[in-house]
Amino acid sequence: MGFNSIYFYDSLRSGIQYLPNTFQLTFIPIVIALILGTVIAVIRVYRIPFLAPLLVVLITLYQGIPLVVALMIYHLLFIAEFNDFAAALHLDTSMADINLIWIGIFALSLQATCYMEESIKGAFFSVDKGQYEAGYSVGLTKLQTLRRIIIPQVIPVALPMLTNNIVGAIKGSSIVMVIGITEVLAGSVIPSSKTYAFFEGYIAAALIYWIFTILVEKIAARIEKRGDKYRRNLV
Amino acid sequence: MIEIRNAKKSFGKNEILHDVSIQVNKGDVIVILGPSGSGKTTLLRCINFLEKADAGTLTIGEQTVDLKKASSKEILEIRRKTAFVFQNYSLFHNKTALENVMEGLITARNVPYEEARKKAEDTLAWVGLLAKKDAYPSQLSGGQQQRVGIARAVVLDPEVILFDEPTSALDPELVGETLAVIKSVAERGITMIVVTHEMSFAQDVASKVVFMDGGFIVEAGTPAEIFRHPKEERTKQFLARIISAENMYYI
Repeated sequence: MGFNSIYFYDSLRSGIQYLPNTFQLTFIPIVIALILGTVIAVIRVYRIPFLAPLLVVLITLYQGIPLVVALMIYHLLFIAEFNDFAAALHLDTSMADINLIWIGIFALSLQATCYMEESIKGAFFSVDKGQYEAGYSVGLTKLQTLRRIIIPQVIPVALPMLTNNIVGAIKGSSIVMVIGITEVLAGSVIPSSKTYAFFEGYIAAALIYWIFTILVEKIAARIEKRGDKYRRNLV
Repeated sequence: MIEIRNAKKSFGKNEILHDVSIQVNKGDVIVILGPSGSGKTTLLRCINFLEKADAGTLTIGEQTVDLKKASSKEILEIRRKTAFVFQNYSLFHNKTALENVMEGLITARNVPYEEARKKAEDTLAWVGLLAKKDAYPSQLSGGQQQRVGIARAVVLDPEVILFDEPTSALDPELVGETLAVIKSVAERGITMIVVTHEMSFAQDVASKVVFMDGGFIVEAGTPAEIFRHPKEERTKQFLARIISAENMYYI
């Protein structure tokens, strides 16, 4: 198989143009997952009645569905129902006004929330029960103990897992091309559809993802080092 | 004055406290003795609501609360009148020694920062650890951590400090320095309830010794009464075993 560097550069340029889409498809879900995941993890750690078991069931069910399947279902529901839905709410929008990327972001957010919740819950369980009791014993409320004692200890434990989740989210975001969203992968093979240089297209996409993930890992490593000051001397 | 009335607690079918009542006067040092599983620690934890009792009432000063049905507001009020020293120190790992001592003042009692820092430094100096004020718990020895733990309790100026086997997790070498600090807490006239296995500490410092076994208070009295003239057979057995073990330690 030959390698045409001109086609490769074309693909690279085209792929890079769609980096902002991949960026959105990665970081919006990560931020949403971070917030929702933390809330759900806290609900589960504190075993809040009714909510905690309900969320366990929902998460277990949701994790049993492949992301592609979920994506297809949301896409289909969107096509079939959106106009009726907008009419019912008296919204002045139609399907054509909505960028499909939001369906991708929605599906990826739910997926990321499930993963993130597991990581954060694990980090919570790494904090000794005595830390909660010590907080209560000096008269802190539950919320104060959580904010001032527990969460600062959860973060350094959760950070490496968070990095993993972000890297996973970057690579996982390419799956949205199945419903026709153009991001780095789909963008890289746009020129290939004319030239049939798909090999160059995929290599270009791989290179862009690779640089993106390496950058994220480098930044994360720096942050992890800084958040570690009180753990440095732990044996 | 502190009074616990008819405290009961079971874990599942296992009844840990059967109807325990204790009265503590201001400035008293109550030492609770007893074999493992006798309910000493559970009693202490129930006073601070780290464990919720199944029945009973607690009176601290003017305030009386139900040990089972206390609202979270009442629990917070009781906790702000008490302080706890843990067996495994439980210092806040993410805070320095000084920040550990300041935390309760700043966050729970809304003391201004500078005043809290001053008070915390004085208290750390008093336990002999001012030089270590910027050290994290992971950089301190067990004995030092426990002294910070005691400073964290004392600085709050509580009505009572509850000590849960404060020296049990320490190296024998470090027990002395920690007991010395606890003794000076007692000399300040702070009311204390101490669960311990240190018999000589109990004899020296306690104003009242309570002997517990199987979830009951078997016997209570002055150290002289309990150690020299125990009335109950169970107390005699326990003391005989402990004291012969202590003598062996010295041989």
